[in-house]
Amino acid sequence: MDASGQLAAHFFREHSGRMVASLARVYGMAHLDTILDAVQDTFETALTHWRYHGPPDHPRAWLSQVARNKLINALKHHARYSHATEAEAPLPALSTTDPDPVLADEASTDGQIQLLVACCHPALRERDRILITLHILCGFGIPELANALQMNREAVKKALQRSKAILRQKSLKLGQHAIAALAPQLPTVCTILYLLFNEGYKATRNSKGIDFDLCYEALRLTKLLRPVATPEAEVDALLALLFFGVARFPARLAAYGDWIPLEEQDRSLWNTPLITEGFHYLDQAKRSGYAGRHYLEALIASHHCAAPHFAATDWKTIHDLYQLLENLAPNSTLIRLNKLIAKSYAVGPLPVAIELENFTVDGSPGTAFLLAAMKGHVYQRAGCAAQACAAYEEALSLAQNPLDSQLIRKRMETTIAN
Amino acid sequence: MKEFLMLIREDANYGELSAEEMQACIEKHYRWVETLREKGQFKEAQPLEAGGAHIRGKQRIVSDGPFLEGKECVSGYYILLAESLEEAIEIAKGNPDLDWDRAVEVREIMPMED
Repeated sequence: MDASGQLAAHFFREHSGRMVASLARVYGMAHLDTILDAVQDTFETALTHWRYHGPPDHPRAWLSQVARNKLINALKHHARYSHATEAEAPLPALSTTDPDPVLADEASTDGQIQLLVACCHPALRERDRILITLHILCGFGIPELANALQMNREAVKKALQRSKAILRQKSLKLGQHAIAALAPQLPTVCTILYLLFNEGYKATRNSKGIDFDLCYEALRLTKLLRPVATPEAEVDALLALLFFGVARFPARLAAYGDWIPLEEQDRSLWNTPLITEGFHYLDQAKRSGYAGRHYLEALIASHHCAAPHFAATDWKTIHDLYQLLENLAPNSTLIRLNKLIAKSYAVGPLPVAIELENFTVDGSPGTAFLLAAMKGHVYQRAGCAAQACAAYEEALSLAQNPLDSQLIRKRMETTIAN
Repeated sequence: MKEFLMLIREDANYGELSAEEMQACIEKHYRWVETLREKGQFKEAQPLEAGGAHIRGKQRIVSDGPFLEGKECVSGYYILLAESLEEAIEIAKGNPDLDWDRAVEVREIMPMED
């Protein structure tokens, strides 16, 4: 807390994950529900008191101590009324006078990483992993999750219950050695963090455009992972990718909320320090010779960031990098489409237009829209106005995001005007 | 300068509030009270425990009182300093609790007649 009584930005949200992690580590994942309740309860107590008296001198310690006491009381209560569902799990020796493990900071970082790995458990569905990670590690409540991921609250609630039941049942051990178990889980964890970031970046069907909070949380959790990740190259590559992404946020949205395509972005709005940070991590990843998916994507992003203006983009190299990505994931419609975009700039729009006519998308959401939008743009650039408008009409009928619709309408207008 | 009691009435159930919102609520209050202090409009404020007792009549019948969960109850009070009820109302309108759809009640504390 600074002198003006202000808490650090997202202090509650971050500390929520920290406390859950520390408590789960000491008292066990079997008590996850009780732990989450105790933490929520702690914030409510803080709300009651701090609203009137301002935050205490040591807000972190205050919260941790209160949470721990609340949990101990709840666990004692459960133990006494042993028909409670969680009572079968053995209780560690409880005492409010023990040295406080919750306050130890590095223990809490370890705990958060272990919890993150648990939340990305392969037994959970992909979307459920994103939800439970945001809920447990980032303190997102049900209404926030519903809003961020465009789901209804009931569905979010059910998904969280389902995930918590699995986590309890697996009775995952969060101990000193659990960090060692990180390595085989690392790719999955990185994938989930990247998906989490993308949820914020795309803000699917959400007129807000970029949900900065989700992107910020993804970046925070990835950074957390870095010191313990072995090999760290994958985390470095992911960090580079995320930094290149956030660096370009300011240019991506217009003041009035429209999407601005790469071609029209004012590159002076790109955040140079963040781009530099991206290059730093990219460099780290490069040294290890790791050439996984995140690395290739980061490399592509780095080429965009390095180009002083759109026409200076090295499309030939970007095309080749997409080809390497396609070799890794031959079935990804998104990668194949992106490769063709690069090709249309490297070789010219007409040959790509022909390829797009024979292109089939998989069923994944949004790809049919992308294909139509891209067809329209490629025809537009080739000077085929009629074909372009037909494709844009199709794209409009498939658009699921108001920002996407606006962009397509704007492009249609330019096509007709020319 | 007159003293006014401002009671905060709210549903004792914060269940739907997220960590982020709770932090925002605290910070708004902190900033608001700071501005009141600067203007000399703030005397004190305290939260009240949700539990308590209701004692009634000659029989001294004790019950849990109207503090049932999920029901609107008094969650805290402020003592405000203002020249008039109108001014006190204007001050009370600035209470961030209203942004969370809580209700406040302002009453002048009757001074002892000289």
